[in-house]
Amino acid sequence: MARSAAPDMKTSSPSTIVTANDVTKVYQRGSEPGRLARVLGRSEPPTVSAVDSASLDISNEEIVGLAGPSGSGKSTLLHILAGLERPTEGSVLFQETDLATLSKRNRTRHRLKHIGIIFQQFHLLDSLSARANVALPLVELGIGKQQRRRQATELLERVGLGDRITHRPGELSGGEQQRVAIARALITDPDLVVADEPTGELDTDTGRTILQAFKEVAENRAVVLASHDHETLEICDRLIQLRDGTVTNRLKQESSSDEDS
Amino acid sequence: MMFKWLSDSLLRLRTAGSLTIAQFRQQKLRLLLAIIGVALAVLAITLLAGTGIGVLETGEQQFNAAERDLWVTAGETRITSAGGGGFENTLYDSRNLSTEMESQEGVSHAIPLAFDTVYAGTNSSGEFNTFIATGTPQGGPAIHVTDGDSIQGDPHYANGTYEGEMTNKVLIDEETANELDVGIGDTIHIGGSLAAARGNEFTIVGISPTFEQMLGTPTVTMPLSELHEVTGNTQTEPATFITITVEDGSSVDTVQQDLEESYPEYEIRSNQEQLSSVLQEQVLLLAAAGVLVFLAISAGVALTMSLLSLVIHQQRQTFAALTAQGISSSLLIATVVGQGLIIGILGGGAGVLLTPPAVAVLNRLAATIVGFDGLVQTAPWIYAGALGIAVVIGTIAAATAGWKISRVPPLELLH
Repeated sequence: MARSAAPDMKTSSPSTIVTANDVTKVYQRGSEPGRLARVLGRSEPPTVSAVDSASLDISNEEIVGLAGPSGSGKSTLLHILAGLERPTEGSVLFQETDLATLSKRNRTRHRLKHIGIIFQQFHLLDSLSARANVALPLVELGIGKQQRRRQATELLERVGLGDRITHRPGELSGGEQQRVAIARALITDPDLVVADEPTGELDTDTGRTILQAFKEVAENRAVVLASHDHETLEICDRLIQLRDGTVTNRLKQESSSDEDS
Repeated sequence: MMFKWLSDSLLRLRTAGSLTIAQFRQQKLRLLLAIIGVALAVLAITLLAGTGIGVLETGEQQFNAAERDLWVTAGETRITSAGGGGFENTLYDSRNLSTEMESQEGVSHAIPLAFDTVYAGTNSSGEFNTFIATGTPQGGPAIHVTDGDSIQGDPHYANGTYEGEMTNKVLIDEETANELDVGIGDTIHIGGSLAAARGNEFTIVGISPTFEQMLGTPTVTMPLSELHEVTGNTQTEPATFITITVEDGSSVDTVQQDLEESYPEYEIRSNQEQLSSVLQEQVLLLAAAGVLVFLAISAGVALTMSLLSLVIHQQRQTFAALTAQGISSSLLIATVVGQGLIIGILGGGAGVLLTPPAVAVLNRLAATIVGFDGLVQTAPWIYAGALGIAVVIGTIAAATAGWKISRVPPLELLH
């Protein structure tokens, strides 16, 4: 598949966090026919290509935006970079580690140690306080209670929720919940933070506050945002435009002009 | 290395426990409904199993309370539709047969006992209802009288001439008394046919639950000869049983063997054998009871499993988000298993705690309606079994639901 922009591929520098090489993701619509269905002549279900031969790399301390309309494949690409999805074709190198070589368990472990994920709908545990939500991933790293609490409190203070640490998600506003989600994504000090429509559920003012938090997050790590919101994408250092699963454009934000990289 | 693994496992277990409790504290109504559901399932199991036990225990107690050692029958002691329903009395010439049997070595008493359907009413020109009448040639301690006097002797028999004077006395039970609205000292008309009933008046001398409890239906109890007289059976003298009491110091087994050799045409059974025989003849009833117990357990299992699956299903998105974050499946499954375990223990415990008062209510109802005391009886193993089912099924159901959710890629649940 021809790409309108030249790929910035296969040249992992020391500061490169993740590299995607010719990544394609194909989904089936509906289930595979069984033996009987095949005998009866049921055809294979149709397929749809969510991402088509996309290549990119993400470096440390940069915020990269995945832009495009709904259904353009930006969320799928984001999930592939985070190790939540396996590409149908192509490879994803995360700091020299090919994610395809990892078992399901090791990919989960890899996400825990290296990747912070922020969802549009926060997905916090309603039954836990803000601090307990943030501290939860540390359990998997075998960190004791006191240290978990201290680290979670520090992070919540950093995102401006120092006075809300014992509140449950139901007692917090949407913006506050998203900041808790950001703190949770950062608690394991990941190398890459991915966020799918992080301001999608928030009003404009709250969204701006959250975006400011993202700028602070980007210190010493890479951030990838998937969004179709123009204001959200303005904080990005680079933009990768997708349409129908294909990378169509790469933009440097500072120059505000198209720039094939 | 080992210490680290142990320490990490304990940490995760503690966290799973905290998560479980936190989830429950957040969803108190859901927890309460799940506990009620499991408690009802457990209650269904304990009560139906208790009814099964009660039928067997009550039957055995009744046979033991009758203070008889052996039961002689001629064929099955079954319900018949002849003559408006009742027991089929196939043991004919019961008086002479009893006398013969009484002369056997080791036999203290051989007493015929007949059950038959009769019409009874308070007014010879009024309405008559059918009841089971019990005919016995003597009163004695085998007939428990709660109020008034017992019947005494059987003078009408008069050595088989049926020319002796009729006592015209009967015992009734509470249910019969309520149905006919009569009490001690009142008179009622009893007969095998309406014509016979209109012509035979009996005085109620006492209240006895003995045969009501044995048969599970309202009864009137009268001297055997008078029952044969009012039912027109003085020629054949049919009986349902001949009951044998062995002499003190004699072996019941030996007497049973001797009687079986002397009377091969009759069935001679011990109390336990007779109860089993009665129960086996009620095969449909037993099958229905068995199906009910099976259904109760199945329904309990299905209810517990579906409740827990629902509880876990509602948390699938949160769990998927945590898996995406790198939280391991094992921690989440442990949390889910914890929920199943707690719901199983609390629901099972509540069901077990509710069982005694429910048993008391059911027994009171059964005693009022059919005259059975202690129809539902429980045993420690029933409580333990029901609790075990709740806990084991709860845990397995939760673990299965948790495992299934952990198998689904997190993104499928987050879309």
